[in-house]
Amino acid sequence: MSDNDLDKVWPTGLTLKEAEEVHSYLIDGTRVFGVIALLAHILVAVSTPWLG
Amino acid sequence: MECVSPVARRHATLGQWSMSRIRRFSVNKIAGMGTRFLPFADVASENVPLSRLLRLSMFQVTVGMALVLLVGTLNRVMIVELKVSATLVGVMISLPLVFAPLRMLIGFKSDTHRSALGLRRVPYIIKGTMLQFGGFAVMPFALLVLSGYGESYDAPIWLGHGSAALAFLLVGAGLHMVQTVGLALATDLVPEEDHPNVVGLMYVMLLVGMIVSAVVFGKLLDNYSPGRLIQCIQGAAVITIVLNGIALWKQEAMDRVRACTVVKQPKFGESIAKLMQGNGTIRLLVLIGLGTAGFGMSDVVLEPYGGQVLAMTVGETTWLTAIMAGGGLFGFALASYTLSRGASPVRLATFGVICGVVAFLSIIWSAHLLAAGLFMVAVLLAGFGGGLFSHGTLTATMRSAPRDQIGLSLGAWGAVQATSAGLAVVIGGIIRDVFNGASAAGLSAASLPYVPVFALEVALLLAALIAVLPLLKEKTRPDAPEIYAGE
Repeated sequence: MSDNDLDKVWPTGLTLKEAEEVHSYLIDGTRVFGVIALLAHILVAVSTPWLG
Repeated sequence: MECVSPVARRHATLGQWSMSRIRRFSVNKIAGMGTRFLPFADVASENVPLSRLLRLSMFQVTVGMALVLLVGTLNRVMIVELKVSATLVGVMISLPLVFAPLRMLIGFKSDTHRSALGLRRVPYIIKGTMLQFGGFAVMPFALLVLSGYGESYDAPIWLGHGSAALAFLLVGAGLHMVQTVGLALATDLVPEEDHPNVVGLMYVMLLVGMIVSAVVFGKLLDNYSPGRLIQCIQGAAVITIVLNGIALWKQEAMDRVRACTVVKQPKFGESIAKLMQGNGTIRLLVLIGLGTAGFGMSDVVLEPYGGQVLAMTVGETTWLTAIMAGGGLFGFALASYTLSRGASPVRLATFGVICGVVAFLSIIWSAHLLAAGLFMVAVLLAGFGGGLFSHGTLTATMRSAPRDQIGLSLGAWGAVQATSAGLAVVIGGIIRDVFNGASAAGLSAASLPYVPVFALEVALLLAALIAVLPLLKEKTRPDAPEIYAGE
């Protein structure tokens, strides 16, 4: 598949596909963290409201 | 099908050469130090040093911590401090049980995971860790809203119930995922003859995680305040991410060959059918289910039994847990020792079940004699038998797992084990409560609520013995497959 080095991205030396997969973990993680943080903020605001 | 460039391969060999010298040096150092203090140091094989296995087994510490928080600490905090009704607490705590059967699916998914990096286990461990973290991060606020703390007394009821349920579900899903795939990774990494030691290590780390976190959270929550609750649970969330991160760091190797090979994806149902065709697989699972339920049912009744029937003090009854854990540790150590020297795991598990039958019969008998000493010895024996049983059955599962179905096999083990352990605790609690009512009405002696639980345990263990008999008979056949033959 990738005997040619054109497909690789540096500095990691991963192929594009591999780099994209690593990136997708980062994106998924950020989304999950975002939703969790949002939910936690709503719950805190319900029990001890701020700006109110 | 060649994916690795010649340059990369040369780099890799150079790296391996210098790494292997350093590694051999450090392995010799650590193995020389560790074997003196740890019973499971034999695992340090040339390719996977003990330090790495110890590091990997840290995911079991977080699993143990999550289990203790869900079943023990938060159970008490919700009822005593947050004044949530016991029924609601019971429902919330048994919610993670819903995910136990899904372990098979998780294991199967990780076996057949398509990844450009050729990874199978690490993505799922990361996902599981994220879920567990997320659940813990939301949980304290969800519990506070559930109990109507602060301004939330007039919040809609579905918000508290829904978010608490979601938090428990997230933690449950996360811990089942981490444990299933983590064990599959450990099985991948270690050659077959070292499996008993890995199993021993994993169980000891689970026990360590449970005991340490029970003590620490108990101390921290002694003077309860809402702020302290938030600190504790969110602290657990951070510890989960940190320990699991350390555990899986650089454990699974990138596999460009696997990433390039295109294989036909088997269907879930076909895979299960293939696994179940394995000789004795179903009997082994039945043994695991019955035995786990048999050993686990007394968890909720041991301490009140000691207190009410045998008139032991509170201090003495808290020792019961320690005695049982000590017996379990001894069982794990003995199982690791004998299994790595060629004993048959199924036979060892059977011996554990027999120990359990004797132990629970003597616990019932001790009520007649009112002998606290006999009771303590019996509890020790029950812990020991339970240790042998858990170790033997997990080792048998690992040994009999086909190389391409390791995740699914361990998923099946986990599904059966977690489901029956959870159901056993629930059923044990129900039996105790039902007979408690009868005994409170003055119908009979104080021992009435407990004896049926122990009797049911004996019955379950005897049923497990009957289930395992054919497996033991096949041992005598010369062409007996791996799980009966041992090494």
